[in-house]
Amino acid sequence: MTGIVIAGATRSFGTVRAVDGVNLTVGDSEFFTLLGPSGCGKTTLLRMIAGFCELDAGEIRFGDKRIDRLPAHTRNIGMVFQNYAVFPNLTVAGNVAYGLKARRVTAADVARRVDEALALVQLAGYGERWPHQLSGGQLQRVAIARALVIRPQVLLFDEPLSNLDARLRVSMRGEIRELQKSLGITAIYVTHDQEEAMSVSDRIALMQSGRLEQVGAPAEIYRNPTSRFAAEFMGTTNLVEARALGRGGAGMISLRPEALRLDADAPAGWPRLGGSVAHVEVLGPITRFDVRLGDGSLLKVAALDEPHRTLTPGTSVTLAYDPARITVLP
Amino acid sequence: MRLAIPHQQRLPLAIAALGFLFLGLFLLYPLFNVFSASVLDGEGEKFTFANYVKILGRPFYRGAVINTLTIGVAATITTILISVPFAFALARLPVPGKAAIIALAAMPLVLPSFVSAYAIVLLLGRAGIVTQWLQSWGIGFGSIYGAGGIVLVYTLTLYPYVLLPTMAAFKAVDVSVEEAAQSLGSSPRRTLWTVTLPIVIPAILAGGLLVFIETLENFGVPFVLAEDMPIFAVEAFKLFVGETAPNPSSAGVLGVLLIAMTSLVLLIQRRFLSSRRFSTGARSAPPILRVGLGLRILATTYCWAIVLLALVPFFAIVVLSFMEFRGPVLHPNFSLANFTALFERSTRPLLNTLMFATLAAVGVTLVGVPIAYVVTRMRSAMASLLDVIATLPFAVAGTVLAIGFVVSFNSGWLILTGGPFIMVLVYTVRKVPFAVRSSSAILHQIDPSLEEASISLGRSPLQTFGRILVPLMLGGILSGFVLTWVTIASELSATVVLYSGQWRTLTVVMFQALEGGGGGIATAAASTLIIVTLLPIALLYRLVRRYELST
Repeated sequence: MTGIVIAGATRSFGTVRAVDGVNLTVGDSEFFTLLGPSGCGKTTLLRMIAGFCELDAGEIRFGDKRIDRLPAHTRNIGMVFQNYAVFPNLTVAGNVAYGLKARRVTAADVARRVDEALALVQLAGYGERWPHQLSGGQLQRVAIARALVIRPQVLLFDEPLSNLDARLRVSMRGEIRELQKSLGITAIYVTHDQEEAMSVSDRIALMQSGRLEQVGAPAEIYRNPTSRFAAEFMGTTNLVEARALGRGGAGMISLRPEALRLDADAPAGWPRLGGSVAHVEVLGPITRFDVRLGDGSLLKVAALDEPHRTLTPGTSVTLAYDPARITVLP
Repeated sequence: MRLAIPHQQRLPLAIAALGFLFLGLFLLYPLFNVFSASVLDGEGEKFTFANYVKILGRPFYRGAVINTLTIGVAATITTILISVPFAFALARLPVPGKAAIIALAAMPLVLPSFVSAYAIVLLLGRAGIVTQWLQSWGIGFGSIYGAGGIVLVYTLTLYPYVLLPTMAAFKAVDVSVEEAAQSLGSSPRRTLWTVTLPIVIPAILAGGLLVFIETLENFGVPFVLAEDMPIFAVEAFKLFVGETAPNPSSAGVLGVLLIAMTSLVLLIQRRFLSSRRFSTGARSAPPILRVGLGLRILATTYCWAIVLLALVPFFAIVVLSFMEFRGPVLHPNFSLANFTALFERSTRPLLNTLMFATLAAVGVTLVGVPIAYVVTRMRSAMASLLDVIATLPFAVAGTVLAIGFVVSFNSGWLILTGGPFIMVLVYTVRKVPFAVRSSSAILHQIDPSLEEASISLGRSPLQTFGRILVPLMLGGILSGFVLTWVTIASELSATVVLYSGQWRTLTVVMFQALEGGGGGIATAAASTLIIVTLLPIALLYRLVRRYELST
């Protein structure tokens, strides 16, 4: 199928470089996510691939074919939009058939493929409904069916789940991942939600200020962030000066809350730190608490719920951390 | 190497180019010729400011400036004074029959104002029915000719311009802002004055401004009611018709001055209103206030009285058109003689009116909708320039644009004078701002991602425009079409300058009958015009109702 190569892609809006010399290779049938805070350039990069945003410099190739100068409607891309963009003047079947009719597929084939696509997104029998009769989750399924049915070279997702409620988001992201894997279509997915990115992606490109901050498999970026930004954006972390942990060097150290434990729960070989509990949140499966160290800095700790232990602010505690799970940042 | 024009901008750029071409040829070029006529001598050869000195040196024309502005200001104030309480009552007080009131209140916007003026003359003029009836009882009253009568007609016909936006603004006030004021210790009365009214002031002023500009540009009402009092739009017309020199320099001067006045007002408004936009983002309309029976009766009477009073003149014209006229004198016998007289001569004026309105409304839609697309979808200096130029006709009185057309297109490579298309083109240009405004409002409601979805599914931008945007805009385009059609059907100010021979319209017949004193034909023409106006509106209303019921 199709791998994607992005080479030196650049685009400025006024004085702002929205996308700044991005080089990226996405493998065939890979589920690749562009992750970053709003304004980091991830949507601009996606729109460059879709053909809705011109490149100032650089190029984009699908396999060997350069596509960045093709008009958007000739690129054979399936795109799923944040607000679904389901045509309100067409029925569900009309929406799904739209791209097929543009490709002059015969009427019999259109009907068959529309039914198949609707079945694929679990909307079999919904063809004659109107968009205003559907829920948000159903609309998003229509949008996905509409993008899949044209058998695109590449699937693009622009924050497709951000308008759905939390529960539906979690189940839909699983479905999207499953569909993509079963069809084997190369997918690029844009989101600002770190957890969502980690759950669906084969690889993630973390972006900031128009540049790639770090590219890698989700667990790799989480465990071995190469920058302070990557460490902080991928989940919660404690950024501590190396000195404060009694280590040499001037750099910062990223210490995940789950790498810290109370003295009693920790293996003997782990380094210890003394402090007092400043704040406690019991969230159910885990308890989060902050510990103020002797030098005044605050450490965030996450521990699995322990029914027989109650922490109260002010209590003195000794913490231990896993020396294998710290990341020294440049 | 990059392509010169990005793909996704080709369609908007092509539309913009056509838009500039059309507006350049049929708006800027005629206006430029009006301007150059004003600064050239009578033979059209030498550059001079003598025309301005000559016109402004004469007390008669200085008086015209003062009269026009005074009447405009007075009408704006009276309109605001009657509309704001009216709007508040509709938005916040328990008044029965609100839907009917709102529907009736919008009607003066589409009915021709000079018909109302003429009806006032027939009722309250020197030989008016009411005047004579009152005189038989020995009661006299002041003359309705001159400034007082003009302000009265403007107030009765233009008040919806203030009422409708102000009512919408009152409804958009977030009630929690009022509740905050009251929880801070402000009485309901003080809250109204210090919180609610300041929030709606921009809407009131925006509406008042429309009223003011309408009064500056209006030709028909002062033509019927001003008598000897010089009024700008009327004097420009008289000068133009009367000027014998090859260069219409004096009419040009009045035209330029009129455009200058309206543009100035628009600029002031842009400055003032752009810095004061209070939006409180209410999620639902504020609740209807609980008030005593007295206030309830008062509010109800007030609302119904204004709505009906504004429509009485139109109703009276229809009734009077079925009565017998002997010369200007009216006899209370039922008769179809007026209509027979009107249509016996020729049905051409009626057919012309229908044909011109249809052609121009089609033209307005074809020009306005694509321009609105460019203006809303392209964010560039060029798009804003197109927006400004497409709004410009709003600041140009029909009389002035028509004079520009006659000067521009009565010789040379494109001759339009004497034919029907000059009228269709002027109507089209005049209504373009309204079509652009209303289409932009619809386009703002349509998410651009729908277009992108269509394009990414394989439809070109042009196909997307036809298959997605046009169907989605259809309801709005249709109602815009009907409103444009209706206002063009009763257009007078440009028509009187442009009509010729067989291309007379109903409004021209009325105009000529008024000049010649043929009261019977005038009322028949006016009442035909009213029916022609109301029929499509009623049809549209039914269509919209059916559409709403089906979805």
